[in-house]
Amino acid sequence: MQKQITEANLRLLIDSLILKRQRVIGPRQSGSMVLYEPLSSASDLVLTEQPRRSVKEAFFPVCEDLLEYSKQGQQVELADIEPDRFPETVIFGVRPCDAAAVPVLDSVFSWDYKDHFYLKRREKTTIIGLACNTADDSCFCTAVGLSPDNPKGTDLMLTPLTGGGCLAESHSEKGEAFLITWKDRFSELDGTKPLPLAQPAATPFDLKKIKNWLDNHFEDPVWDSIAVRCVGCGACAFVCPACHCFDIIDEGSEKAGKRRKFWDACGFSKFTNHASGHNPRNLQPKRYRNRIMHKFKYYDDKFGQTLCTGCGRCIRICPVGIDIAGVLEEIEQQDDSVK
Amino acid sequence: MTQTINTSGYSAITDSIRNEARRILGDGTVSAVIGYTSSRREGSTQPTVITKSEDADKLLFTAACLNNLVVYLTKAKKDVPHEGRIGIIVKGCDLKALVGLLGESQLKRENLYLIGIPCNGVLGSLFNPSAELNSETIAPKCRECTDRIPAGCDFMPDVETVGLPELNPFYSSEIARLEALTPVERWEYWKEQFSKCIKCYACRQVCPFCFCEQCLCDRNRPQMVEQTPRPSGNLAWHLVRAMHLAGRCAGCAECERVCPMDIPLNLLNRKMAKELKEMYNSEAGFEVREKGPLTSFDEHDDQSFIR
Repeated sequence: MQKQITEANLRLLIDSLILKRQRVIGPRQSGSMVLYEPLSSASDLVLTEQPRRSVKEAFFPVCEDLLEYSKQGQQVELADIEPDRFPETVIFGVRPCDAAAVPVLDSVFSWDYKDHFYLKRREKTTIIGLACNTADDSCFCTAVGLSPDNPKGTDLMLTPLTGGGCLAESHSEKGEAFLITWKDRFSELDGTKPLPLAQPAATPFDLKKIKNWLDNHFEDPVWDSIAVRCVGCGACAFVCPACHCFDIIDEGSEKAGKRRKFWDACGFSKFTNHASGHNPRNLQPKRYRNRIMHKFKYYDDKFGQTLCTGCGRCIRICPVGIDIAGVLEEIEQQDDSVK
Repeated sequence: MTQTINTSGYSAITDSIRNEARRILGDGTVSAVIGYTSSRREGSTQPTVITKSEDADKLLFTAACLNNLVVYLTKAKKDVPHEGRIGIIVKGCDLKALVGLLGESQLKRENLYLIGIPCNGVLGSLFNPSAELNSETIAPKCRECTDRIPAGCDFMPDVETVGLPELNPFYSSEIARLEALTPVERWEYWKEQFSKCIKCYACRQVCPFCFCEQCLCDRNRPQMVEQTPRPSGNLAWHLVRAMHLAGRCAGCAECERVCPMDIPLNLLNRKMAKELKEMYNSEAGFEVREKGPLTSFDEHDDQSFIR
């Protein structure tokens, strides 16, 4: 279903949702950064820059409690933290590179084990995407098969129009229901043209060729030269919309405490440290190799998708200037014949 | 008003370090040179390790050469080739960290070949690596730098850099602002800053002085510090970090630069440095100190706390 909405009506719509005590998340200023956070009114929206962290935390927060325990004498009390507590949420202004990562996360969190904390939030959330009209030199969505107006992962996609307002197109039942519920705010198409889309400069990668090389080069000296500079922090994984590794830990005392799930990263040296003390990824190049292998080979093998949407965040924040698009270029240029 | 900063010497510095790297790799003085090279985005750079003299032309120095490369000499980064003598490119602030590691017996001077940069400042971040260096884009640490010409290096490009114009200091005025707050207000300020932390540990991983092979904050048997990115664990991590660096931090400000959540970590480091200067007249410099101010006792030390 396609409709059109003026900027004023879009703001009224957001404010109406908030007035109805609906949780509305969108990019807003948070100190020195723009982050996806709950809005208190439509005027909080900041749509001129990409949020520093991705939208994944709306479903997969930095840290969340899974259960709590308490102990009195020999009596241990365990209490679940009900996934039903998650409120109905609408997320506005989700960039296509963020939205496209959501189906990627869906696959893994609903795979052999159903992660109810993730899935419950997903079920209760409507994702309203916003096409991009500007890109910087870190953006490379077009190089990994996406685009500045790709609707993947959105329920409703907004495309800014010349002269203001947006085209609104539904891409799921939720999106269609949203257009129907709020039909008074939307109008029929009047033929206004969309604003020119952003044009990321990166040339499309041959992802098949890259995967073919990865299939055959688990051991290769290239990893050392690429990853020698990696210092082993988790910044790239934490700002990534698609990285989804986490750790679980019990925190508290003998008497009471909580079990918590929190973000983890394959760049950390402890990530694969065995209880024996043995670490199969004992050096940083092996950890960086895993990052690339997981994104462009393992995930593809398992789910037929790429674990990278070209948002460029890791390029912008890497402490040592590792540029994943540059790394892919380098891999693409390797001889992919089997050694 | 934005003041332009003169970086015209940087291309001559690039030529000079290329020639020197070619020479010392060619004649076997060193087995590797740790320096900067260009990256894919226009103007961006990244650290590199070159081992062949024909790769010397890959090296460069620009205002986008932000990293403190000394981190690659530490045992926390033991996968960087460490056989034989290593050449390394250091700015003044980087050299002070290296000197600190010499004092802590982490490095041996005879295993290093130091190529010093007569620095005229670098950018504050790589968000826009091709930005012009000016009074707006310059790194906060450079605004009050007093050590832009490293001392005691094995080689320094014979290039005059003109020095910086007078710039308003950043850290000293921020510290003065925070010192003027009440303890409650100051606590609120830091609580808010630490609440942004996502525990990516970029600050730890780039710090030359965070060379522990087993970080206290990673321990889980027993757990010393809550590991989750929540208020208590974040506060614990940032206090441990600041206190472990007191009397050691050389002010390269890499922790603050790389923080993806914009936590002003170097403010804590500078505050610690200020206290150490006032209490023990101790500060990081180009001279190797055998003893750290907090790891030694002197009868003249302040003993007023003993009652």
